[in-house]
Amino acid sequence: MRRVGIFICHCGRNIAGTIDVERVREALRSYPGVVYSLDYLYMCSDPGQELIKEAIAKRDLDGVVVAACSPAMHEITFRRTVAAAGLNPYLCEVANIREQCSWVHRADIERATLKATQMIEAIVEKVRHDEPLLPLAMPMVRRALVIGGGIAGLQAALDIAAAGYEVILVEREERLGGRMAQLSATYMNFDSTVDLLREKIERVTRNPHITILIRAQVEELSGHLGDFKVKVRQQGNDEEYEVGAIVVATGYDLYPMERLREYGGGRYPDLIDGLEFERMLSPTGPTGGEVRRPSDGRVPQEVVFIQCAGSRDPERGVSYCSKICCMYTAKQAMIYKRQVPQGQAYIFYIDIRALGKGYEEFTQRAMEEHQVLYLRGKVSKVFPQDGKMIVWGADTLSGKRVEVAADLVVLATPMVASAGTFELAQKLRVATDEHGFFSEAHPKLRPVESLTAGVYLAGACQAPKDIPEAVAQGSAAAAKVLSLFSQEKITHDPIVATVESELCAGCGLCVEVCPYAAREIHPLTKISVVKEVLCQGCGVCLVACPNKASHLLNFAPAQMMAMIEALEGG
Amino acid sequence: MSKRRAMVIGGGISGIQAALDIANSGYEVVLVERLPSIGGHMAQLSETFPTLDCSQCILTPRTVEVGHHEKIRLATYSEVEEVRGDFGDFKVKVRRKPAYVDWERCTGCGLCQEKCPWRVASDFERGLGKRKVIYTLSPQAVPNKPVIDREHCVYFQKESRCGACAKFCPVEAIDFQQEEEVWEEEVGAIVVATGYDLYPMERLREYGGGRYPNVIDSLQFERLLSASGPTGGEIRRPSDGAVPKEVVFVQCAGSREPERGVAYCSQICCMYTAKQALLYKHKVHDGQAYVFYIDIRAGGKGYEEFVQRAMEEGVLYLQGKVAKIFPQDGKAMVWGADSLSGKRVEIAADLVVLATAILPSQGTGDLREKLGIKIDESGFYEEAHPQLRPVESGVPGIYLAGAGQGPKDIPEAVAQGSAAAAKVVALLAREVSP
Repeated sequence: MRRVGIFICHCGRNIAGTIDVERVREALRSYPGVVYSLDYLYMCSDPGQELIKEAIAKRDLDGVVVAACSPAMHEITFRRTVAAAGLNPYLCEVANIREQCSWVHRADIERATLKATQMIEAIVEKVRHDEPLLPLAMPMVRRALVIGGGIAGLQAALDIAAAGYEVILVEREERLGGRMAQLSATYMNFDSTVDLLREKIERVTRNPHITILIRAQVEELSGHLGDFKVKVRQQGNDEEYEVGAIVVATGYDLYPMERLREYGGGRYPDLIDGLEFERMLSPTGPTGGEVRRPSDGRVPQEVVFIQCAGSRDPERGVSYCSKICCMYTAKQAMIYKRQVPQGQAYIFYIDIRALGKGYEEFTQRAMEEHQVLYLRGKVSKVFPQDGKMIVWGADTLSGKRVEVAADLVVLATPMVASAGTFELAQKLRVATDEHGFFSEAHPKLRPVESLTAGVYLAGACQAPKDIPEAVAQGSAAAAKVLSLFSQEKITHDPIVATVESELCAGCGLCVEVCPYAAREIHPLTKISVVKEVLCQGCGVCLVACPNKASHLLNFAPAQMMAMIEALEGG
Repeated sequence: MSKRRAMVIGGGISGIQAALDIANSGYEVVLVERLPSIGGHMAQLSETFPTLDCSQCILTPRTVEVGHHEKIRLATYSEVEEVRGDFGDFKVKVRRKPAYVDWERCTGCGLCQEKCPWRVASDFERGLGKRKVIYTLSPQAVPNKPVIDREHCVYFQKESRCGACAKFCPVEAIDFQQEEEVWEEEVGAIVVATGYDLYPMERLREYGGGRYPNVIDSLQFERLLSASGPTGGEIRRPSDGAVPKEVVFVQCAGSREPERGVAYCSQICCMYTAKQALLYKHKVHDGQAYVFYIDIRAGGKGYEEFVQRAMEEGVLYLQGKVAKIFPQDGKAMVWGADSLSGKRVEIAADLVVLATAILPSQGTGDLREKLGIKIDESGFYEEAHPQLRPVESGVPGIYLAGAGQGPKDIPEAVAQGSAAAAKVVALLAREVSP
């Protein structure tokens, strides 16, 4: 019989404020298998962990239940703690009495205390049936795939290659550089983006560790962290590459103007979007860098910039803020004013979001030094009249309606995830958010990781961001790849499915339902086998199996039944 | 590369991330932190936008990982004294303040703190709560070892009277004779992640300049919101402990205001103010929260939607600056403008929260001289190139991360921590010294 110790965390007042921890501890004292119980202010703190180690040694425990916060927080902490005391880490389980009990039952101490007790009893039952397990170890392919050759992808490739690892860089278009190559100059110091980019691209092309695949796309992905197999299609030819990690840096597109009907959405030549204006400002662009309106080539004397053209506008565009438009619009208006000093630039805005170092000062310069006229308000309509574009807007600060007869109108349309993001996400088995951008693993603390192990995110494919942020993310994603590649082997959680071969009829239902392609019917024995390294322990196969031949390690049927009985009050 | 190890200066979330990423790539890291324990400002926060995750809850797994990492050596309560050498071979002198506690012996049992009879205002609680004279920053401190605040300790100030901590310490770890310690670390690369401070309220005279107890700054309000804070997470105003029914949040208090504050935008205030106002509404259902703003800058993923949610849940946004705050009949009178209606607004508030500007942390100027790196006109570390080299200092081997380079929020600070780590790892991985 296993000797189980119970450690109940107060989590300050988070748990102890709602659950009578002393009563829980007393109630569990006599529970079968429990030989020790303790409560403490913060189990995750150093002294808390020491108490666990001490008890394992002194009380000769061979099972540990920590009743605390969600296992997503500290399961790994406590498993490390018991391992340091010489116990198999898989004989330590967490009962989540915070998120699943104290936080949701604040009004009822009595029942919360009873519920916590039963939850812990259930986890005691689990530990009593747990097997000691060893993590699975697999070899690692120390080569990375970077998808997208924009600035974020280039930076990621350079930083991975700088540590001596091979990189395959896949770019869909004919050239590297992404959106940055289309821009005229950066905001803040008006550096030529083409020059800045050229240096980066040269470093990438010269780097012997980086293989560049132009006009190429990822067709198929199989395998797992440390050992992916990627099929890349380049001009009709498929080639397979083995990589250990993937950085996704597929960037953004602009929201199609056509959908903005009130603004004439794509029907008028002198109504253009932010990127079209960038091309006009760019020395390598169609006008050689001169601002000329598309309809007749004349230099526009009145230019209206409309920010949030589809952003922050859930009805006819997207609900989110595109983050970079305030700054690039200020920059565009300033470059225009430098070229056409007698011209007038108007910017309609809701809020000026100058979010970055020196950005506030930059927009101030636009207003003060370049006399760009900022009007706070939305534009309700844009339409052509007598060779001009008439802009109807509101100036909420004066409370008046404004009408401008413009020669040229520039719409700061929203950034959206680049075309093909959804299809790529499916191939990579990476989640996207409600706006179609890739989802990060945690909004605060894991900004460049996807929830799929071994797949990292960089740049605007995760959410709108500007160049310095995209560059920082490219480097950050590289850091994740570098620490992964420094491991000798990939370790994999051993909580995986198993097959009881005598019960398996080889029907193949588990193969069909497995979302991770971790199941196959063995060609000779005709029964189902588990590819352990792919298995994520989700348990879908257990439900699907008509013969109950599928099991999940440490989630055995007897174990589950014992847990349920404990929850029912024994 | 002669020295295949790195130093990270600053144990906030950015430095923690940098240290973990370097250490997880197999290189040894010395993490230097000025305070007795790591965690930085994130440890003071209540909940984080836009998900309202509890800050401590998501932070402690990281601090615990640092504390147990075999490749990370913690040098807390320490500061960098001198830096010599070049990338690949820096020699850094580190000075550790005397804790008057032998950390080797100390088990972190906490008995000394319990028995210490003296209480003083706590910096960690930003003056809203008290701590003992022998203290740790929080019960989950990493490392969980106390220090004695010599300035307030009766043993030191009154000729050896008291000594309660020493009497009760079960392992004889109290060492009143302990002296500061200076030693040298040899490292190949350095990450500077020294973070931020808030602009001192005292300098905002129109807002009472720190003279009125019910005009507090945003970090103080974080402590009021925090379940582990001085009020246990209840919103109570400092003057009399009453639950405030009208709370005014003043954004850009000293930001975007070259005349009496700083010219730049502090970037994070719009979001944390929305969060604070929302959390206040969650805790005081019949309370009213007002936010004075110039522009609402919600530029991150899910941020715009978060501010919308705050508005929908009843937070009242007023576009305009606040001209003056002064006490009257037990209230803090706020004179402001609502530029959308063009009217003057006067609110008799129970509590005013100033979103004061973010400044480079104290000591940034000193440290930059020791490191030989540049700072910009606002006093933040200057990056090598604003667009393409955001985490490089311009001095080879010295990298930047987090709010020391400019105001930024947690995800950006974390990404920069990782980015700086990538640079360090690539440098340390080089076969030969350059």
